[in-house]
Amino acid sequence: MGGGSQGRFVKRTTPLWLLLPVFGLFIWLVLYPHLFVLGDSLWIGERLSLDGYRTFFTSRSELEALWGSLWISGASVLLSAMVGIPLAFFFTRYDFPGRSLLAALAAVPVLLPPLVGVIAFLFLYGESGIVTRSVQAALGLERAPWRMVGGWAILLVHTYSMYVYFYLFTAAGLARLDPSAMEAAESLGAGRTRTLLRVTLPMLAPSLVAASLLVFMTSMASFSAPYIFGGGFRVLTTQIFQSKVSGEVTMAMVQTVVLASASLLFLWGLRRFDRGREFAAVGKGVGAVRKPVRSPWARTLVPTVAVAGVFVLLLPHLTLLLVSFVPQGTWTMEVLPSRYSLENYRALLERPQLWTPVANSLQMATLATAGNLVFCFVVAYLLVRGRFRGKGTMGFLTMLPWALPGTVIAVALATTFSVNQPWFGRFILVGSFWILPLAYFLRNIPLVAQATIASFRQYDPSLEEAAYSLGAGWPTTMRRIAAPLVLPGLAAGGLLAWVTALGEFVSSILLYTYRSRPISIEILSQLRAFDFGAAAALGVVLACLMTAAFALGGRFVQGGLTGPRG
Amino acid sequence: MKKAATTLLAAALLLAPVPGCGPDGDVLVVYTPHGRDLLEHFGEGFEARHPGVQVHWLDMGSQEVLERLRSERANPQADVWWGAPDDMFIRAAEDGLLASFPPSWAEHLAEDHMDPESRWFATFLTPEVIAYNSAAVPRSEAPRDWNDVLDPRWRDQVLIREPLASGTMRAIFAAIIYRESEGTGDPTAGYDWLLRLDAQTKEYVLNPTLLYQKLARQEGLVTLWNMPDIETLKATTDFPIDYTIPEGGTPVVVDGIAVVHGAPSPELAQAFVEYVGSEEALQEAAEHFFRIPARTDLDPAGLPEWLREALPRIRPMEVERATLLEQTPVWMRHWDANIRRRGQAQGYE
Repeated sequence: MGGGSQGRFVKRTTPLWLLLPVFGLFIWLVLYPHLFVLGDSLWIGERLSLDGYRTFFTSRSELEALWGSLWISGASVLLSAMVGIPLAFFFTRYDFPGRSLLAALAAVPVLLPPLVGVIAFLFLYGESGIVTRSVQAALGLERAPWRMVGGWAILLVHTYSMYVYFYLFTAAGLARLDPSAMEAAESLGAGRTRTLLRVTLPMLAPSLVAASLLVFMTSMASFSAPYIFGGGFRVLTTQIFQSKVSGEVTMAMVQTVVLASASLLFLWGLRRFDRGREFAAVGKGVGAVRKPVRSPWARTLVPTVAVAGVFVLLLPHLTLLLVSFVPQGTWTMEVLPSRYSLENYRALLERPQLWTPVANSLQMATLATAGNLVFCFVVAYLLVRGRFRGKGTMGFLTMLPWALPGTVIAVALATTFSVNQPWFGRFILVGSFWILPLAYFLRNIPLVAQATIASFRQYDPSLEEAAYSLGAGWPTTMRRIAAPLVLPGLAAGGLLAWVTALGEFVSSILLYTYRSRPISIEILSQLRAFDFGAAAALGVVLACLMTAAFALGGRFVQGGLTGPRG
Repeated sequence: MKKAATTLLAAALLLAPVPGCGPDGDVLVVYTPHGRDLLEHFGEGFEARHPGVQVHWLDMGSQEVLERLRSERANPQADVWWGAPDDMFIRAAEDGLLASFPPSWAEHLAEDHMDPESRWFATFLTPEVIAYNSAAVPRSEAPRDWNDVLDPRWRDQVLIREPLASGTMRAIFAAIIYRESEGTGDPTAGYDWLLRLDAQTKEYVLNPTLLYQKLARQEGLVTLWNMPDIETLKATTDFPIDYTIPEGGTPVVVDGIAVVHGAPSPELAQAFVEYVGSEEALQEAAEHFFRIPARTDLDPAGLPEWLREALPRIRPMEVERATLLEQTPVWMRHWDANIRRRGQAQGYE
């Protein structure tokens, strides 16, 4: 990237008309509400006090929870990377029959909404689950061979549901890599391992850092898995919930602030590491070339291994499907249910009010994602290409929603927007339709922004400079140069955001109203109503919607996971 | 490709109407933990009596209802709160979340089954019981009283619903602590009892549904729960689950109803409260959903047989309401910090 040739286009500072609205939105919707949370953790009775924090840091069980959250999140990053990165390499590098279908299926864990996924794991690997009972029967054991409890159970669920971030981000990164860099390294005599370590992985670094961040933050905020499988295992999210349930508002707020601070520290550390690692590949429009699998034994082995692996990944979905056909209250001691019927699906059709949540979720997720795409494109552009003071602050604000668990965002929104004070930027949104799309939008800003930022970093800014120097204005350059080039990242991020919003549970449960109740809430009510079958049937409907989205959206990630070859 | 996506997106946004904008007719919104079957029954009953009215209900835990009412204070969405132990109604009333409305049937309630300022009223009385897997445990060997659950035979066989979130479990734990203190107000003996229970406990289970599943699948054999829910299970599923009413006395939870302060449809809300406390509705609740009416004036002949048979066996545990109201949060906090999962480590066998 030529040293002395920066023209007037690059040097000029980013215009205020672009900066002000972005900063304004961030401050009003992201920063402002959370100041109320911080305030509530310090405001005890009628005065400011640090008593809440003193109690926290002298209590054995609270410190246990902090440590639990930290190591579970760290281990989740490692394990997810160990599964996701090799998978992405495998599917991007090798070609064999059925590859593109299997590559798409490898992303299926993302199609299980959090709550439903955890319940499926319970039916599968829980103490009286299908796999557990099968192993027990096969080995002739008197008791269940394992119990789905504690740290490792949480880690299993986390790895299963979060390696997808590494998988998708690595695949998107590989899709944008110029193979000529690798070819150059190899022609200069570097071996495969050396090329991987010195060329490929460093070029993938932005994608990997983004995935690590997402996994760490998601683990820190994860609630369903520790709640259901934790047993006596304490993490901060469950402690917050317990405090809230016991009516200890101050303690809940203190725990929330500690949780957010821990996540923010990680974010800060990783950004420091990531700084100065910007590099760019001069893309020549050549996608990655996949190697066909040639040797005869490998031609059978590779697809077999891929099919077997994908089958294991699909087991929870199959379990969900199975349970959706089991009539209520008939499955007790058997390994597999003994009776099947269409009763649950008939019930879904006969209760038209069950379809309203489906329509609600579709609409709210689409609204939120549309907002995300526009907003995050601008934010990512500003963060990567912009020249203005306060860039670090904007980067911080972009990641802030991820550092704050969904519960916190929901509580903060509910507190801030429960009063009508237009001069203070406060309006009554509680109890209205708009608060849920707003919450989804806020929660998904980091997801879409990170994916888009990674794409922006991977192409050479000289392409934009060329457009400017040929007389194109900013809008044209964005539309004709930047948007098409970041489309893989933007589409991957947007897709994940839409799917996340469709099954969102954690903030929905605090903010929904009768009229805007989403699918996850309806599933929860069915679970409460002791109707596992109906809940599973609704879960299947949700998973099908998500699958349809991926099938449709996968076409956008051109040359990536499912696109045409070469 | 981009065009197709844009068109699709626009179509999706335009086709789906924003909920809450269209004309809606008369709607009554009920927040309740009572479950779909019961709610559908009384929702339809109310709609039949008030043509043109739609009853919508949201099914959630009673603690969640309380939190929701708090967060919606500025823009209330609910008309009626039906179902929660009385201490939650007392807290909500103190917070100014409930409206004052005396239904005509209030005069038939015992004095402590309603709010002196008419902000909530009892509908049902819910006794707690000991439930067990009847396929693995014959009736003659099932625990007959609370202390029997501490028997070595049930070591690692007891399942407990996550107590902090559950009105039922809070009521049981508080009553036992109160009983063990023998009126001294010192909870130490009660804590000791709960430590021994913790040592017996195999797992704290997330919600009632999972609890039933685990009990039916013999992941544990014994649990503590409430009578109407277990009776309903027996009536509606094949699960091998039965229960005993503790011989020495059991806590009886007072389950209430209230009109929400600032309810969007206050007249409908009052009519609904009037309706579910009527003699006819209470008899239906007893017959189909195993609920014991709180009203004292009902003709025993109109009540179902199971109830007439069960009533004499229920010995309400004597508790002092004010103490429980004040101390339960303290006791539960202590339980969570010092008793949960510590029983076995402290050598209780």
